[in-house]
This record gives sequence, C-alpha cells and structure tokens, in this order.
Amino acid sequence: MRARGIGLPANFFSHYARQLGTLSGLLGMCVVLSVATPFFWTVSNLLNVAEQAVIIAVVAAGMTFVIITGGIDLSVGSVLAFAGVVMASVLQAGVPVPVALAVALGTGLGCGLLNGALITVGRLPPFIATLGMMSVARGAALMFTEGRPVSGFSGSFRSLATGEVLGVPVSVVIMVGVYVVAHVVLTRTKLGRYTYAIGGNEEAALLSGVNVRLYKAAVYGISGMLSGLAAVILTARLNSAQPIAGMMYELDAIAATVIGGTSLLGGEGTVVGTLIGALIMAVLRNGLNILGVPSFVQQVVIGSVIIAAVLIDMWLKRRAG
Amino acid sequence: MKKGLVLVLLAALCLGGCQRGGGEAGGGGGRQRIALVMKTANNPFFIEMQKGAEEAAKRLNVELVVQAAEREVDVEKQMQIVENLIQTHVSALCVTPSGSREIVPAIDKANKANIPVVIVDTRVDAKALSESGGKVATFIGSDNYEGGKIAGEFLAKKLGGKGKVAVLEGIPGHETGDSRLRGFREALKATPGVEIVASQTANWERDQGFNVFQNILQSHPDVQAVFACSDLMALGAVEAIAAAKKTGQIAVVGFDATSEARDAIQKGTMDASVAQSPAQMGALAVENAVKLLKGEQVNPEFVVPIKLITKENAAEGSK
Repeated sequence: MRARGIGLPANFFSHYARQLGTLSGLLGMCVVLSVATPFFWTVSNLLNVAEQAVIIAVVAAGMTFVIITGGIDLSVGSVLAFAGVVMASVLQAGVPVPVALAVALGTGLGCGLLNGALITVGRLPPFIATLGMMSVARGAALMFTEGRPVSGFSGSFRSLATGEVLGVPVSVVIMVGVYVVAHVVLTRTKLGRYTYAIGGNEEAALLSGVNVRLYKAAVYGISGMLSGLAAVILTARLNSAQPIAGMMYELDAIAATVIGGTSLLGGEGTVVGTLIGALIMAVLRNGLNILGVPSFVQQVVIGSVIIAAVLIDMWLKRRAG
Repeated sequence: MKKGLVLVLLAALCLGGCQRGGGEAGGGGGRQRIALVMKTANNPFFIEMQKGAEEAAKRLNVELVVQAAEREVDVEKQMQIVENLIQTHVSALCVTPSGSREIVPAIDKANKANIPVVIVDTRVDAKALSESGGKVATFIGSDNYEGGKIAGEFLAKKLGGKGKVAVLEGIPGHETGDSRLRGFREALKATPGVEIVASQTANWERDQGFNVFQNILQSHPDVQAVFACSDLMALGAVEAIAAAKKTGQIAVVGFDATSEARDAIQKGTMDASVAQSPAQMGALAVENAVKLLKGEQVNPEFVVPIKLITKENAAEGSK
C-alpha cells in the first residue's frame, strides 16, 4: 500500500512526458538565442548561465519538497538573508570555514523546523506560518547586523563561488550535487514516498500509518537548510552578506518549481523538472540581457513565460486525465 | 504537446528581440557599444541619468545599452546583468553600484575581460576594491557628504540655531545615504542648540516616509524640522505633516530636487532640496567611456556640482 498507494507507477509516464516538454522548452529557447546572437552559445556564457541559476535552483529544490506536500514556503528569501549574516559574522570572528558552513545550514534548518512546528503542532496554514517567518527572519537579520552588510572574507571561503573544478564553477558542482541527492531522496527513500503521499491525500497517509507531522516538519527543515546553503553560495559570490539579500527569491523559487511541472495542489512534481525550470528562468534573463531588451519589457516577458508554462502544464494534465 | 511550450517560449523571446528593433544583437555597424547598468529604471533620478547618457551617446555616435535590475537593492541581479553584458563583449561598462562592496566581484570580472569600468553616482568601497585588486577607470558623481552638510547648514539657519530635528534615513549601508547623513550631522555640530531627536530609516520609500514620520510625530509632537535623505521620503513626510494639520509649522528638507519636490518647494509645503544633476552624470559617464576607448587619459574622479534648491530658485530647471 505504502509504495503503490503513492501512485508513482500511474503517474510515471505523465511526469516523464511533462519533463520532456519542459526540457524541449529550454532547448528551444537555447536554439532561438543561438540564432539571434553570437554571444549565447559559447562555453563561457553557458557556464555563466549555470552559475546564475544556482541560487534560485538550490532554494527551489527545497521548495519542490514543500510544494509536493501541498504546502508553500514564503520564508526562504528571509531565511537565506538571516543564515547569511549569521554565518558571515562567525566567519569574521575567525571560525574555520567548515564550521561556518555548518552554522549557515544549521540556522536555515532551525528556521525551517520552526516553520514545520508551527504548521504541524500549531496547525497553522503553511502560507501564514511561513509568511510570519518571512518577516521574523528578515527582521532578525536586520537586528543582528543593525542593517549593515557584513563583508570581506578569506579566499578559501570565496572559492566556494569563485573556484572551479575541471573548468566548472564550484557553485554549479554544488547545485548538481544538491539535485542528485534531492532526486534520490524523493524517488528512492521513505521520506520521498511520504512526501508524495502527504501531498496526494494527507488523510489517507495518516490513516495508513505515516507520521505526517514528522515528515511534514522534515520537509520544511529541508527547505530551510537549502536556503542556508544558498546563503553560503550567495555570500561567497558577492563577498558580502546582506540583511536585505534574497528579497522576492521565494517567488522566483516558486516560479521555477511550477514551471518544472510541480502542482501547487501537491502530490506531484519532480526535482528534475524544477532544475529545468530554474535553468529556463536563468536562460531567459541571460538572453534578454544579451539581446539588450529594456528592463521593463523583460519583466513582462518573464511573467508571460511563467503564466504560459503553467497554462500549458494544466492543459496537458487535463488532456491526460 | 511539447510544441506548445516551445512555441510560447519562442514567441516570448521574439517579442523581446523585436522590441529592440532586431538585427542589432551582434553589435553591428562596427560602432562601439557602451553599457550603462543603473540601480533601477523606475526612479526619477535614474530616468534623468538615462536621458543624459542617451543624448551623449547619440552625439558621440556610440551604441548605448541601458539595463537595470527590477529592484534598486538587488545586488545579485545587478551582478548577473554585468556578467551577461561582459558576455556580449561591450566595449565599456558604466555602472551605478547597488551595493558599494557587493559590486566589487563584478568589477573584477570586467577587469578580467579588459572592459574599462566607469562608476557613476555611488562610490565603490575603497577597501573592498583594493583587497580584490580591482580597477576602476573613473568615478562620476556628486559629493553626497557636502550635500548633507549644505542641508544641515540650511536647517540650522532656518531654525535660528535652536530646535528639534528628525531625520529619515535611507537603507543603512548604502554609501550615498550614509554620506548624506554624515554631512548633515557634521553641519549640526556647529550649532549645539539644534538637536536630532529621532533618526530612522524609511528605506528610500515614499509610503514608508509617510508612516515613519507619522510615528515620529506621535513620539515627538514638538519636532520643528525634518531632513530626509531623498525627496521620495521627504514627500512622504510632507503628507504626514498635512495629515497632522501641521503644514508650514515643520520645515522639510529633501535630497535630489526631483520635479515633484521643486513643485512642493514653490507651493511652500517643502523648504529645500539638494539638487544633483543625474542627466549630467549620465552624459559624463558616456563621454568618459568614449575617451577611455580612444586611449585618452581621464581624471580619476569627476565631481558633479550640487546646489540647494529653495523657493528663490525652485522654478529654474524644473520641467
């Protein structure tokens, strides 16, 4: 019951097909851009795009878990800022880099688990709990730093963003690692199966003996922890942790997730789709910059793509169902 | 079914491409392409700057690409824009940093690509720049410290050397706002009778200027003057004063001398504003970028003059 009741086999084909749809959208954009400008299809620009996708992609991986359970996490951008400034302060106090990383991930995890507790024990709707956390974490980040950015770090810390492994930026390697782990967790572990089960039918999951509270809280913990990881990369990239960093990132992360085919109603979605969604957003922004499109037009185009992608996704679902 | 999504994305991109008049994406015509990356494109100050830069580009027959992040404080988006423009091999890069320190990695990348960098309006943090070994060709901007000082001297004189003053700050950590604030405080040191009773941030925003000043009026009903680090916040305070039926009783000094602020000064709801010349900054940025590309020497710094706009001179230069 547990393994099959999730409906993976039944949904498998439609998941797979939809990812192909999103993937061909991404490839189609790449083809058009390659024809439109000589600057797009170059190794250096493609690595550039991948690097620019990293922050939103890492946050969106956690968001995918949350949305599959039928929830939402509006606090990711603020948690990112808070984890970033806390880590930056301990780094400047002379703590070794690995410890600082643990502090960032731990801060994110803590905020996420607090979200989880508010939702499961406090029975708050996820929208409200994480909306509150969005303000609390932002305010905490501002209080912690008195509003000022914390900047200037050692080369070894900055190499997390500036370094390369065989020509590929370290941040891109981290992103790929996050997605491999997230994919395995979601498709091959109990936590993953229960994530789908809770989103598909929470009542049924509860009745079939799933510890819904525990796994729901865990999912928000994952989201918070990945926001902490994104904070590490962003801080290394800018050589500065800002208390006002990450504003509106929750919306970009949600957009990447839904473009990737995850339903806001819960129960279905894949992290692979989310990765493609994050890459679509990054390619779109990069292409519009390269083409020299005025910034106001860019916003219209980006919004239109999000709407169109979800419209098509819903249309496909209706046809399939 | 895949086709549908592909088609929409293609259409979206074409829409973007066509907007630009098409065809020029490769930097055709052999003209030099200069990029201006602003903090935002939806603030009167930067709209003026863009106009000045565009006029100069036309005059000097260079192509100008203007880009900006959606939100003024989004340092990461600004960095992405700079990275993307570097990929298109722009000849020179003019940028108004969203963050004085956070812009440094982007400058490093431009340096690596041998693209000269002209900094406009907001200074780069000197320490962060020297630590990274980054190079900036020139800085063009006004002296915000001096502007704050002029505003402080005006208010001190207006209050006759004695009174209670409130301050609306910008986002902490922004070089421009911090300098204005330091200049203002420095000016007031000369007149110990003038006391700053409240100093809070309204995050550069008009509605926050309204709310924050309304709160200040609650806690300090006897405040006699307010200095806002930008006109948007000052205009918010003007509304709060009107709502409290205290128009004319509280002196308001802003910064930027936007056309709306000039109107308010003429009407008497505001007393003064410090004028910068964003259009001149934009023009100077492009002119100096062109000089750099010709291999000419440029000064390491251009200070664009500032002046205080009061009722006497508010009409001139307003549009």
